[in-house]
Amino acid sequence: MSYFGLLKENLKEHKDNYVQVLRLSIADLKKTYHGAALGWFWAIVKPVVSIFVYWFAIEIGLRKGGDVEGVPFVLWLIAGMVPWFYMNELIVGGTECIRKYSYLVTKMKYPVMTIPTHTNISKFLVNAILVAVVIVIFWICGYPPTIYLLQLPIYMLMMFLFFNAWGLFAGMISAIGKDFSNLVKSFVTAVFWLSGVLWDVDKLVETNLFFKIFFMINPVTYFSYGFRNCFVYHKWFFEEPEKLCCFLGLYVVLAFLSLWAYKKLRKEIPDVL
Amino acid sequence: MKDEVVISFDKVSKVYKLYSSNKARLLGIFIKKVPYKKKKAVNDVSFSIKRGESVALFGKNGAGKSTILKMITGVTFPTSGDIKVEGRVSALLELTSGFDQEFSGRENIYLKGHILGLKDSEIKALESTIIEFSELEDYIDQPVRTYSSGMKSRLGFAINVNIKPEILIVDEALSVGDAAFKNKCKEKVNEIIKNDNVTLLFVTHQTAVAEEFCKRGIVMKDGKLVFDGEVADASKKYDELYKKKKK
Repeated sequence: MSYFGLLKENLKEHKDNYVQVLRLSIADLKKTYHGAALGWFWAIVKPVVSIFVYWFAIEIGLRKGGDVEGVPFVLWLIAGMVPWFYMNELIVGGTECIRKYSYLVTKMKYPVMTIPTHTNISKFLVNAILVAVVIVIFWICGYPPTIYLLQLPIYMLMMFLFFNAWGLFAGMISAIGKDFSNLVKSFVTAVFWLSGVLWDVDKLVETNLFFKIFFMINPVTYFSYGFRNCFVYHKWFFEEPEKLCCFLGLYVVLAFLSLWAYKKLRKEIPDVL
Repeated sequence: MKDEVVISFDKVSKVYKLYSSNKARLLGIFIKKVPYKKKKAVNDVSFSIKRGESVALFGKNGAGKSTILKMITGVTFPTSGDIKVEGRVSALLELTSGFDQEFSGRENIYLKGHILGLKDSEIKALESTIIEFSELEDYIDQPVRTYSSGMKSRLGFAINVNIKPEILIVDEALSVGDAAFKNKCKEKVNEIIKNDNVTLLFVTHQTAVAEEFCKRGIVMKDGKLVFDGEVADASKKYDELYKKKKK
């Protein structure tokens, strides 16, 4: 089947099964927080603790930080970290999604292309709540919502689509060999520290061309700074056309790879899982 | 209506790729040269089954029965050949698996129903029948991971026979639970095939049980179809093959 046909099949599977996909997302959500006495509370506690720790280490421990664009460092950190929580979940969770839902592959006839989507939706909903919390925090600290917040849904949608393609690609490959998911897991921390979620890449970008390109094609940097554009820098997403084009190019490549992986491995994974 | 073909296999073969390790398999995605052994589990099999027929599938372990069943359910794909299946397939394969361990029995009933495309109202209508049939009573709201294997298979059986299947596949599932439950299952299967014009595919080693349910029998050996006809003849043929192997 051609790649165009595969893309059409992908969209059709989602259209025909959207009810099941939504239900499985809710089920996935319930399962994540179910069985713990405080349940939903943990969805907030985990990010709060990590932000506190990083803020403490950088601002208090290393005595770095300081205001960015007139906004306190801790708020700047929060704006860039919130999308990272989602990306972190999806980089690892996307890789594991088909293994985790192997019973949908090996025990019944189920549209495999929609498995990454329901994992993705459940994480996305949690992140949407976090984003709302961040807006409130900024407000309380004296930074009421601006018109630039209107582009948040656009960034979130791009993030959703990007990591959906990643989930299909990585999920398929790691269903064949567990090594791939170990590889991803060991690199996820590296990605975090190298992508400027914690420190300002702008100063580094000015120094040499290699860094400029590296951060330009890094989707994690793109989203982390995209969120900061909304909250801190007050820039529109189309004001940085090179970054946008780099990201879109990368997305096309990843989407292509995910279809390639699907085409190649769809018939093989039920025999392997 | 009665003569409509619901399952048809046309020259179906299935080859499994056996790599020496998981590492080799992963490399095999990117590099074609990585060596692997080919194992032909199903070899050039053709048959067709009409609506309402009940067919027994005989064969020793490794004869390719399970692969055929998996291909009918649409879980695995043939390497070559064509398969056509029409109607909702309900498979009683490996009853204990296919549940979400963290969810309660009741939630799993809904989950399974949703995945099969049933509406909430339809599941609600079946819910009490399923719970009653599974005899789980108070355990139904406990997470499935706390169930014993007998409880899981009872629930699995109850769900699968009660969702109004059009094609029912039974893979030695009737050896579930104690004698009383076994009989109940047999009765239920009998009732389904008689009343609802359901197509039954029955896999077993015990020829006597098969003759109770089925009129037609298919015998498999080493991935090939060696006999297709009356169930009594099929079980004779199966016994012959088996005895020959013993000598």
